[in-house]
Amino acid sequence: MNPAAIIAKARSENRTALDEVAGKQLLAAYGVSVPKSAVIDGVDDVAAAFTKLTPPLALKVMSPDILHKSDAGGVEVNLKSAADAADAIRRMMNVPALRDARIDGFLLEEMAPAGLEIVVGGVRDPDFGPLVMVGLGGIFVEVLADVAFRICPITRIDAREMLAELKGAAILDGARGRKPASQDAIIEVLLKLGGDDGLLMRHANDFKEADINPLIVSESGAVAVDARFVLS
Amino acid sequence: MSNQAIINRYAPLFMPKTVAVVGASTKGAALPNVFIRRIRELGYDGAIYPIHPTAAEIDGLPAYRSLAATPQPIDYAFIAIAGAQIPGMLAAAEGRVRYAQVISSGFAEADDGRDLQEQLAAAARAGGMRLIGPNCLGIYSPRGKLTFTEIGPCEVGTVGVVSQSGGLGTDVVRRGQTRGIKFSGLVTVGNCADIGPSDLLEFYLADPQTKVIGLYIETARDGRRLFEMLRAAKARKPVVMLKGGRTKLGLAAAVSHTGSLAGDDRAWVALSRQTGCILVDTLDEFIDALVIFQTLTPRTGRPTQRVVLFGNGGGASVLATDHYARLTLDVAPFEPQIVAALAALKLPPGTTITNPVDCPVGTLLQDDGRITEKILDIIYGIGKPEALVMHLNMAPFVGRSKPEVLDNVVQAALRVQAHFPGQAHFVLVLRSDGEPQIEARKREFRARAIELGIPVFDEINNAGHALTALRTHERFVQSRRDA
Repeated sequence: MNPAAIIAKARSENRTALDEVAGKQLLAAYGVSVPKSAVIDGVDDVAAAFTKLTPPLALKVMSPDILHKSDAGGVEVNLKSAADAADAIRRMMNVPALRDARIDGFLLEEMAPAGLEIVVGGVRDPDFGPLVMVGLGGIFVEVLADVAFRICPITRIDAREMLAELKGAAILDGARGRKPASQDAIIEVLLKLGGDDGLLMRHANDFKEADINPLIVSESGAVAVDARFVLS
Repeated sequence: MSNQAIINRYAPLFMPKTVAVVGASTKGAALPNVFIRRIRELGYDGAIYPIHPTAAEIDGLPAYRSLAATPQPIDYAFIAIAGAQIPGMLAAAEGRVRYAQVISSGFAEADDGRDLQEQLAAAARAGGMRLIGPNCLGIYSPRGKLTFTEIGPCEVGTVGVVSQSGGLGTDVVRRGQTRGIKFSGLVTVGNCADIGPSDLLEFYLADPQTKVIGLYIETARDGRRLFEMLRAAKARKPVVMLKGGRTKLGLAAAVSHTGSLAGDDRAWVALSRQTGCILVDTLDEFIDALVIFQTLTPRTGRPTQRVVLFGNGGGASVLATDHYARLTLDVAPFEPQIVAALAALKLPPGTTITNPVDCPVGTLLQDDGRITEKILDIIYGIGKPEALVMHLNMAPFVGRSKPEVLDNVVQAALRVQAHFPGQAHFVLVLRSDGEPQIEARKREFRARAIELGIPVFDEINNAGHALTALRTHERFVQSRRDA
């Protein structure tokens, strides 16, 4: 589906935000890597999905009623076989919050290679228009608010300076014996979102907030593992 | 639009041939009367048209009934009457006014004034003019001999300022005058019902007279335009920005001051980082940055980083070294060759021959101050610093030395500057304890240094902030050119 169709579909369904699958389709349309995945209705489709995907897989519930899937018990990871995945679905359907929710289906995804968790996002400022944001994931963004903003569109130098501006920038180079995370891969994602012809400029009036959280960044690449786009 | 078209468009504002004044009284005591007096004192020689409903004459000038009734069309109208009377007056101007500046308050900055401001803006459009204000104080334009302040240099300078606050604009002109700033213009824009900071930024960027731009902003009604303009300018002129309302409580204050609305501080930080404009936090930093940009040429091939502190005051130099380190400027100890060369000068005990260089008055008095040349020659020749901050605590000099010693010290530094052209930014700090005799000496000596083209600061820390502003500009230009 093209970006306009993805957004039109969500609006026609009266959604306030794109669901995870639509969000990732949108990112993919702008050239951001997302995990290979399949959407299934339930236990009966698990085996077929496993023939097309390379385990281990992650399973995520799809529901317009569930905002924070992992808090609600709607995410399971490291599923190595179809039997594992079928068990995981049954467990989810026993969780009261999920049993009472509207379920659109389940998302089975290949798991991103190990790497550093980064957050990339966008907000719409009433005076300046779209802003693009980057931060280190986890406590860095949530507790320390170690993030850098720029007004869209950004240039490659702007993107590089955003990373240099983070207080935890040294972590990208592989602090404490960890492998470094590819800054070039993060910069590419920032440009695909916030660059001249990027997603946030093209859809300045469609979204009031966008979040890729986490973007998993390895030595060689970056994969958007979860994405949220709030419609304006 | 071409630069020339932009300059032409603003010529009636900065160099009006005709000025109308609304609100002057026959008794000669109202603010508009003061405005008439001040522009005459500054040498304004165009036509002045007082507008008054009944009077035949005001301050010796023939008065007219309305903006449409003057002999010639009006380039600039200064309006200070009750707010409710203004929209009707502007709407009836019949396209004969180019710029109307409304000084009066009681518009969007007041809870019940938002509608009136909308009527005012609509009336200005209907009357065919551009509107400045309301809720401001006026324009100071030495090239057009216009001023709203009592004090201000009459010479035309290179610093162009836009201030959303009238009072702060007055502060900038008055303090700037003391500090040697000469202006290409200063416009107070208040609530910005029509013309806002980005309009005047566009003019200053195009205006060949303006080399440095200062903005005091509380809100960017047209933030996107401001961003695009600054981005396209690629820092070809340094822009120093003082932003009011960057904290939650500060923003609340800005709302009641100029009717400003939302504002996300992260966006302003982003704006400065990606356009190279220099965001400062205080009025002092604002003026200090304007002083340094007015005086020194940015060295974009070798941004300011290594600084030598030279002067009398040991504790002051240690504290300043700490402060500079916090600003990430390096006041680093000298290499052994410099120390050895300085040791060979056999300076009196108590002189520190590493960086920061603490030279007590006893040392500086040697050769009536000319010893400075020998010291600085070594520092420049071997150390090649990017900046030299000379700080002189005035009190120990007064009463202990011939008056020409200070001059000799500074002249020695200027000779060293001439030996090593373009190597180091030279800035002077004159420290005073506030005692009247010392203050008088400082003022007199500061004026002399300013005439010699030296930027002068009150404290070493202030000079550090100004050097940081210079470095921000130098680095930005370098990074964008190398890309």
